[in-house]
Amino acid sequence: MSDETALLREPWLDFARQREAGKFGIWVFLASETLFFGALMLTYMVCRIEHPEAFVAAGRETNIWYGTINTAVLLTSSLTMAVAAQGAESYARLRRLVIACLTLTALLGLAFIVIKGFEYKEDMDKHLVPGAGFELPERAAQLFYGFYWLVTSVHAIHLSIGIALVGRLVWVLLRRELPVTENPEIEVTALYWHLVDIVWIFLYPLIYLPGRSS
Amino acid sequence: MSEPANSGPTVRRLWTRNLVIWAALMALLLVSLVGAYIPMGRITTASGIVIAIAKSMLVVLLFMELAFAKPLIRLAAIAGLVFLSAMFALTLSDILARP
Repeated sequence: MSDETALLREPWLDFARQREAGKFGIWVFLASETLFFGALMLTYMVCRIEHPEAFVAAGRETNIWYGTINTAVLLTSSLTMAVAAQGAESYARLRRLVIACLTLTALLGLAFIVIKGFEYKEDMDKHLVPGAGFELPERAAQLFYGFYWLVTSVHAIHLSIGIALVGRLVWVLLRRELPVTENPEIEVTALYWHLVDIVWIFLYPLIYLPGRSS
Repeated sequence: MSEPANSGPTVRRLWTRNLVIWAALMALLLVSLVGAYIPMGRITTASGIVIAIAKSMLVVLLFMELAFAKPLIRLAAIAGLVFLSAMFALTLSDILARP
């Protein structure tokens, strides 16, 4: 059985068309995700324009080291994911490299979640959860932390889904249930993973960088 | 199954290409971190966003290979940005025009 026959799915008769459709489908989904996260960031922007001082004071309370290290972790996971996806595209039969890079990607994703967990713990200890007993005197700082908790948890859910998808890929590729070369599932999963990384790239300056220079 | 002997150059090319992009991303991260501590008023905030846009361009164009994608795929990707910019433009034209 050739690789293409093993990868062909209903309703497609032709593997090239199946790949095109899958890629088009995930990009349409990613465009909808752009709008979803874009709306959240626009909300942040509007609140920040209305309450600039409170947002600066609130941003200063975030832990920049957790944020910066996590950004580096996620950028590195995008590197291993890109190598995996491009390795699967190549005809040089790089099965071991692809599986190793996918495993690394999932582990880096897990590392991000663990670091985020430590950060959440610290935020709770510092009473940075909006509501009674909130640490900062500025009322609008609670808007910042409302955004912070909502958007970082939604991002963490996205990342967890990504880790599960990559973990599943590693599992089926190790068991040889699917071939590695030209596997469209690797390509589509990689595109999703990179988008989750891009969301974080934008969250980093919005959450961690305000108020550092004053 | 062992890898064929000719996979060496491919592997090296894969890593070289992507490590260069990764190094650029890390450098941009460092610049935005340091830049945040330099008091330049609104430029400090803007620099963080501009660097985020530069980083995401690197990821979208090179890691996600949109630079080499077919027109249909590019259209799907750009559609999201078009509607996003409409949402930002309409909202901000209200917010920023308030007395």
